Amino acid sequence: MPSMTRAEAEDFLYREAQILDDRLFDDWLPLFTKDGLYWIPIDETKPRDQSVSIIYDPPLRREERVHHLMRTRFPSQSPPSRTVHLISNVTVGAGVEAGNILIRSNQVIYETRVGDFRQTGLGELRTIVTRMEHVLRAEDGALRIALKKVTLIDRDLSVGILAFII
Amino acid sequence: MEGGIIANNAIDGLVLDKPHTFRVHTKAYTDREVFEAEMGRIFEKTWIYVGHTSEIPNRYDYKTSYIGLQPVIVTRGDGDVINVFVNRCMHRGAVLCREAHGNAQQFDCPYHGWVYTNDGKLVAVTHKDEVGGYSADFDQPKGLFKVPKVEVYRGFVFASFNDAVQPLLQHLGRARTIIDRRLNQSPEGEIVLRSQPFVARYKGNWKFQTENIVDDYHFLFVHRAFVDLQSKYGDTTGNFGLHPGGNTAEMRKQRYRGNVWGTPQGHGILDAQLGTLEPLLTGRFAEHYKVLKDKYGEDELAWIAGRGIISMFPNMGMIHQQIRTWRPIAPDLTEVTIYPYALKGAPDAYNEGVLHAQERFYSPAGYGATDDMEMFAINHEGLSGRAVDWVLLERGVDTDTVLESGDVQGKPSSEACMRGFWRRWRQLMSEA
Repeated sequence: MPSMTRAEAEDFLYREAQILDDRLFDDWLPLFTKDGLYWIPIDETKPRDQSVSIIYDPPLRREERVHHLMRTRFPSQSPPSRTVHLISNVTVGAGVEAGNILIRSNQVIYETRVGDFRQTGLGELRTIVTRMEHVLRAEDGALRIALKKVTLIDRDLSVGILAFII
Repeated sequence: MEGGIIANNAIDGLVLDKPHTFRVHTKAYTDREVFEAEMGRIFEKTWIYVGHTSEIPNRYDYKTSYIGLQPVIVTRGDGDVINVFVNRCMHRGAVLCREAHGNAQQFDCPYHGWVYTNDGKLVAVTHKDEVGGYSADFDQPKGLFKVPKVEVYRGFVFASFNDAVQPLLQHLGRARTIIDRRLNQSPEGEIVLRSQPFVARYKGNWKFQTENIVDDYHFLFVHRAFVDLQSKYGDTTGNFGLHPGGNTAEMRKQRYRGNVWGTPQGHGILDAQLGTLEPLLTGRFAEHYKVLKDKYGEDELAWIAGRGIISMFPNMGMIHQQIRTWRPIAPDLTEVTIYPYALKGAPDAYNEGVLHAQERFYSPAGYGATDDMEMFAINHEGLSGRAVDWVLLERGVDTDTVLESGDVQGKPSSEACMRGFWRRWRQLMSEA
């Protein structure tokens, strides 16, 4: 039965945040279990087969997202974003499934685009406000993310372009 | 409701339409006076899509919407009558509805408590008989301002502030055929808007979206990274056949076929028949397609299952399995809402597959729409270079064929669809 202190949970989240803020997205992938899901719902109460999410990434979709960010060029990340994650209100509890750990946190992400800061859409500081749930499970000798669920406070409003990883 | 202060002869100079040439002046996108004029001369003069009946399925359901900058409420009343009202109390002007949708038999003004029924009648003026209240001769408003023209075509609710607007079917013109074909993908001929929409704003003019939804030319450039993803991942990550062709050459071939239309009503259309029905009639959803084949025949099914993309004048579109609207907020600010829909009576797995394929491309974190919206902002930024007068929209100008209906048929990758929009734009903008 894996367990985790709040300090350990915070360390886990800090490590993930550092990988994302350093844009080392290839290192983000193995933080997940083999079946891990990265999910940003719009309305989590609606059945999946009837409503869209902002992101619903099972493993191959996550790999594709990282490939897209790291090895292709596209307008909404040319020039790319810089992000800083601030993590707060961390609590640790049991996951729904036996042996899982649920970390809840509030995360505020600041984002800006580099490049010619005088131009529209660049050089503006955006604030992305979220509540997150990380469900962790032991796999291959380490606790890994079985589910990362990000609930944006403005999920069903105009969220703007989110072409990076939250 | 005057259309701003810009003079008609100033409008004439904004669209350069002559042999071998078609150009639009930078000001037509960036100028505040032009924008003000558009709100009056276009958005208050023509039909505007305000919602779909499946969004308000029950009696007393309502949703809010916009006609240009004007907030409206779309209601379903007794006897399934659809009304559209200006979302404004007749007393001091506060908006009545602060929710985007709901069910209400009456609307109470949050300011001084005036009460209106779902069909717009003013039924209570509060504290009317106080000493300091209203005169015995008070010319009391009868009710909410009702948008005079409302017509529904196959669930699509259109409204117009213009009493003399042409009949809706005349306005739809050739676009009607495309709407019919999109809806006939459902064995019941109906669609349902049940998913949450995607909403995003971009810092650019609304007409960039009008043009871009029927712009085949941009795809391989703006969406080059997506083409790379398709080459690598194909249908394994949920494309579900939405964007056919697994590499650049094949995707180009798929896009550069069929017809490009610019219609006299200002609609832009891309359509193409499916080359072969065989994969559909023997594939996973064969039963679904056989039903459609029996109903419409093979030739029409090849249209129904083929391409049919509309940029409906001025600010609504249909592509894949979605209705899209773009709401002008300012000359350089636009809000895009994408409503994915389900085909009534189609297999659940089919609807789900298309829904999530659209999520992959059109979400604010997706691989397509994000780049389009970035492009609109880039485009608007570039137009700040106003020393350059013209935007060029003359691809294929010499290959246009004018039909008796007034529809202009262009060749694949041509900008005939944008020229149709701008000709109608100039016409309406010149009728102050």
